Amino acid sequence: MRQTPPDASGRGADEVPGVTWRMLAQRTSGWELPKGLDATWNTAVGLAHRLVPRRRRLMRQAKGVLAWDKHFSQLTDSRLGEQARETRDLLRLGRETRGDLLRAFALVREVAARKVGTKPFEVQVAGAMAIEAGCVAEMATGEGKTLTATMPATVAGWRGRGCHVITVNDYLAKRDAEWMGQVYRFCGLSVAHIQQEMPPHQRRLAYQADITYCTNKEVTADFLRDRLAMGRLRGLPSTLLARIAEGAPSGTDRFVQRGLQVAIVDEADSVLIDEGVTPLIISGQAPNPEQVEAFQRAAAVAAQLQADTHYRVQHKYREVDLTGAGKSRLAELTAQWGGIWTGPRRREELISQALTARELFLQDKQYVIQDGKVVIVDDFTGRLMPDREWRDGLHQAVTAKEELEIEPSKDTYARLSFQRFFRLYRTLSGMTGTAVEATSEFWQIYRLPVVVIPTNRPCIRKHLPDRIFVCEQAKWNAVAVEIQRIHQTGQPILVGTRSVRASEILSEILAQRGLEHQVLNALRHAQEAQIVAQAGQRDRITVATNMAGRGTDIKLGRGIAEMGGLHVLATERHESGRIDRQLYGRSGRQGDPGIARAIISLQDELPNRYATRISGALRKRFGNADREVSSGLTRRIFDIAQRHAERTALRQRKGVLSTDDWLDEYLGFAGKGR
Amino acid sequence: MPVDRPTFSESWYRVADIRPRLRSTVQVFRQHFRGRMWHVVRDPGSNQFFRLNESAYRFVALLDGRRTVAEVWRICNDQLGDATPTQGEAIQLLGQLYTANLLQAEISPDTQGLFKRYQKRVGREVKGYMTNLLFARIPLLDPDGILDRWVGILGTIFTWAGLICWSTLIIVGVYFLIGRIDDLVAQNQNVLDPGNLPLLYLSLVLVKVIHEFGHSFACKKLGRQAGGGEVHTMGVMFLVFMPLPYMDASSAWAFRSKWHRVIVGTGGMFVELGTAAVAAIVWANVAEGTVSAIAYNCMFIASVSTLLFNVNPLLRYDGYYILSDLLEIPNLAQRSRTYLQYLVKRYVWAVRKAQCPAHTSGERVWFVFYGIASTLYRIFILVVILLFLSDRLPEQLKVIAVGLAIVSAVLWLCVPVGKFIRYLITNNELARVRARAVVTTVIFLGGAFLALGAWPAPDHFRAEGVVEPVSLALIHAKTDGYVANFLPTETAVAPGGPALINSVPDSVQERQDLWGQLNGELVARRIALIAENRQLQARRRWAMDQGRHSMVQGLSVQMQAKSEQVRRVETDLANLSIHAPLKGTWICPNVEEIKGRFLHRGEAIGMVATLDDLIIRATAGQKIGAALIDLRNRQMKIPLEIRVRGRSVPAFPGTIRRILPAGQEQLPSAALGYSAGGPMAIRADDPKGLTAAQKFFEIRITPQPQAATGHGAEAIRLLPGQRVMMRFEAPAKPLLAQWWRGLKQLLQRKR
Repeated sequence: MRQTPPDASGRGADEVPGVTWRMLAQRTSGWELPKGLDATWNTAVGLAHRLVPRRRRLMRQAKGVLAWDKHFSQLTDSRLGEQARETRDLLRLGRETRGDLLRAFALVREVAARKVGTKPFEVQVAGAMAIEAGCVAEMATGEGKTLTATMPATVAGWRGRGCHVITVNDYLAKRDAEWMGQVYRFCGLSVAHIQQEMPPHQRRLAYQADITYCTNKEVTADFLRDRLAMGRLRGLPSTLLARIAEGAPSGTDRFVQRGLQVAIVDEADSVLIDEGVTPLIISGQAPNPEQVEAFQRAAAVAAQLQADTHYRVQHKYREVDLTGAGKSRLAELTAQWGGIWTGPRRREELISQALTARELFLQDKQYVIQDGKVVIVDDFTGRLMPDREWRDGLHQAVTAKEELEIEPSKDTYARLSFQRFFRLYRTLSGMTGTAVEATSEFWQIYRLPVVVIPTNRPCIRKHLPDRIFVCEQAKWNAVAVEIQRIHQTGQPILVGTRSVRASEILSEILAQRGLEHQVLNALRHAQEAQIVAQAGQRDRITVATNMAGRGTDIKLGRGIAEMGGLHVLATERHESGRIDRQLYGRSGRQGDPGIARAIISLQDELPNRYATRISGALRKRFGNADREVSSGLTRRIFDIAQRHAERTALRQRKGVLSTDDWLDEYLGFAGKGR
Repeated sequence: MPVDRPTFSESWYRVADIRPRLRSTVQVFRQHFRGRMWHVVRDPGSNQFFRLNESAYRFVALLDGRRTVAEVWRICNDQLGDATPTQGEAIQLLGQLYTANLLQAEISPDTQGLFKRYQKRVGREVKGYMTNLLFARIPLLDPDGILDRWVGILGTIFTWAGLICWSTLIIVGVYFLIGRIDDLVAQNQNVLDPGNLPLLYLSLVLVKVIHEFGHSFACKKLGRQAGGGEVHTMGVMFLVFMPLPYMDASSAWAFRSKWHRVIVGTGGMFVELGTAAVAAIVWANVAEGTVSAIAYNCMFIASVSTLLFNVNPLLRYDGYYILSDLLEIPNLAQRSRTYLQYLVKRYVWAVRKAQCPAHTSGERVWFVFYGIASTLYRIFILVVILLFLSDRLPEQLKVIAVGLAIVSAVLWLCVPVGKFIRYLITNNELARVRARAVVTTVIFLGGAFLALGAWPAPDHFRAEGVVEPVSLALIHAKTDGYVANFLPTETAVAPGGPALINSVPDSVQERQDLWGQLNGELVARRIALIAENRQLQARRRWAMDQGRHSMVQGLSVQMQAKSEQVRRVETDLANLSIHAPLKGTWICPNVEEIKGRFLHRGEAIGMVATLDDLIIRATAGQKIGAALIDLRNRQMKIPLEIRVRGRSVPAFPGTIRRILPAGQEQLPSAALGYSAGGPMAIRADDPKGLTAAQKFFEIRITPQPQAATGHGAEAIRLLPGQRVMMRFEAPAKPLLAQWWRGLKQLLQRKR
């Protein structure tokens, strides 16, 4: 990290030229999603892109990079540094040819070998080339994505407009920045990372570095804060004019960022897709005792209403409807209160919310209680999301239900979904372990083609066909039996569950059978890395929610490989095939052996929600028998349900994006991009 | 969320702190519709309108540029309670006002967005032209100044005094018309003659200009009283490719009183009818000529266009706007459609949160009625226009009809169907009833398809023909002469029967007299010849006695010649009475007039025809001919019905005797040609109007009028030369198959 002392006058911001221009001229919305025939055309182009033999081309280029190996490995460090500076000048001028680019990659590769001690493999170079070409590189877990990213990041750094490497958490940002820092510094580049607790001036310095490691949350929040600081009244022309006419400071010294140029997103599918529509909100407290009281009263009234007579719960749509009787009962109950309880609309709205919180939001499934606060459990990942809140007062309603102290809903100042934010970058690229399933989404929303990079060593993981049971009970039994059977061999087992609750259920079953095991779920967040790291040891049974410890490798204990490696059991299929693959990918990394299998039931949420009729009909046919019904047909149901779920999710995410576009257009008077 | 209209919106923060206000130039008018108060907000710059209900207007009116949106919303909440627009609605309202350029806020405008909106608007307009090719409008100039100058004088039409004058005018016009009602009807038939068309069009333009100025002056006049009322656009509208003038008096929409709006709506027809009355007076008092013709055409157009188009509320002309003002339902057409959609959503598909577009219950009936009627009517009109174009356009231009058909098929069929399918598949509203929606739609469409595709419907072709006798002989005068006697027309005659035209009286005495009187010349010649002959005879006898043989021989030759001459004169005399060459009916419509007339040799007199044995020669285009031949080849019986044109007698059957294949060009009668009002297009270079432009089939049919039943059946008398309509009854065929055949033929014919 560059250690420039913070400038008291705040003029430090102008160290990087063009900040004013870049910040004020920053696009505030990405290109519009095409509509109608254009959309069809765009989809068709996306499909055509799949036919481009990118992988072969990239592998050929990687070979070209490797050809420089001999040349650079003979150079002394100082000579290498000199060459690095030359390359930087060339790239900053933007006059590089394709050959120069290959040479630059080879140079970084050599630096990495000398400074970090590992020389990127051919496949890693290919991945790096894919990132440089603005693609999403799918590289299997454990293939060294961190090292891969250094090559395109260095090249982007040399170009001099800043490069953001996006990681999923602060820890990884810090680790990677420090680990790879030597490489960058050798190449004449400054590197920095952002941590949650950093004060603004440090952040500004960090963003001024050539390469900045940060999380998606921090970079988006900083962007939003900058937009807020910019205010609505100042546009680029007026700022520039003021500067020329009065020599007034541009006000850009309050900005921490310096424009969005290049981003390399690690775990691109998680950041860009799964979390894509999650909005990042900059908000402030707005004390509102009336509102707090209203939520408490609503919770109390909701407790007095009876299901089916006063309201009906629609599990499929996650909704609660008040019946006519419920509405009149509600009117009676609230008759003595004035204020917002007088009109039926607001009253019913509040109660519906309280009932939804009561009936559909369950502790340990949708949320957990930590330190007297409701903390959301991410439905996808099973992780705790301490700084996320449900919207529309639902969060308050849930808090009121749990009779905790209600924090009034916050005043929103600015709000931006990651999806929209990342579309603002001039050059976006990413890498992840699982991307092919989302190829069309990457294309339609980000115009990112997906390239599958082969593994360095062939993958020898065995994927056994799914075992399917009629009811959940039978499934859990089968899981327990299977665990017991495998455990007897001493092979380590990783069991993936979908929810905190499921992991607790399984834990109980295992405890009854006297099987010693570790549970890794949102509730035991703190020990995550430690448990995951040991999951590859002999005799281990680890029960983990979905993506617990994503990004952490499970290293096999001694002799485990000979036993057949880590055995992964999935107990449910997920809404996206990617998440399934993430779990399976825990075993068989870097050419290790491994076994993966899913044991699932027709009562699971996926077939229940997305293939309701077929799975219902099958359940009826098979009866509630405690039997296995694995067959091509039943497996097909899960695939259909999964595809349906993926399509629905894509449509929904696109819907969010176009709604935002609509708002931007219609609220032009309110200023754009907030 | 299960709440229909959630109070809070997560986008609220974007508008909460802004202090917007309506632009200072924006005009606001208060109107009442069905007992509810509305406010119409108008941007005079772009003539854009925006209607706000009471609570929305309260919200907007409170925005004064000093209060923030959040403050205003809070005030509204205190005052209006549940009626307050929700945050989401408020955002939408502000957004709509903003995109209509009615709102300004304290921040610098988003110029890029401004241009984008402008481009979008232009794009929409262009798209509007493209989708409404049949009713395209091109604005040309701004007549406001001219109108201002003249409204003082011409605006008085729209006062009580004006109404009295107008009524008087109408009464006088009607009085004159009644006086000449026969001529009126008689001339009516010529109005669509090709020769009259340019004049008709000229009159149309004239009348329409007057009509449009009627609207504009009404708008101006009332605008002077109540404020507003500007007319800034005048241009050309292409109604089915026919250029016509139009003016934009839509600023009248802002008038507060519905009666004022109605007056502006009727203004056009009002002056148009006045014009018709003036035209009637002129026509009744002017001798035939161009002025009279123009007056007649004006009258015709003013009445026809008023009755067929302007009064009709199912088309988007004056009648529609008048109706919607009278009913106090603005946007009647669009909201009717939305309401019908709502009904389907609510009751057929059971969509729970379907939003009802009706504000009051009284509106619903009108919505249902209007929605159905206007949709059916629109389809009907389109089909009629297309059929008309495809029938009447010259062959070279038929590609236009096909193009139009394709464009309208795409726009009116493919696009809505595509949108509907998309809606069915993707719309969130249907999320939980999608299966039901899809199933009911499929059932409905399947049912309709089955009904149209499997249910045989009667299938007919129509053709027009002329009646002709099976055998006929034209009667010509065989020699010059005066007509002495004749058989009345329509007498049954036979060879050897009485003479048709008789110049030979029966009695010898009369013969002498009449011969002397009428054919004296011939008789005299005969007598002279006979006398000469006798003289020659006498001389010959004398010569024989004398033994002068050579002389006898010469005189014999001379006598022979004289006898020959006498015989010729006698033949001529005999030819004066003409006999029927065949059994039939003697037809000579104006036989009364030729009595005593001198007929030249070879002059046509009449004919003898077999009236009991008539035949109909019908002409048919390719499609009917081919279909009929096909049916005959399959040994199918083709029942057919014949109707006499222009007479209200029952139809009677007939049988097809022969179908002469395509290749015919000469029409059996000029009556079947386009120029005489018949169905067949004729070649322009044929002055007689007998050569068809296209080759056709000729169908020969034996009529059986005696088989007719019903009232007036005995009065049926077929006469040669009469035009008849024939309806061939093909075996019943599903409608879909019939339409498909029609479409194929339409397209094939164009090649």
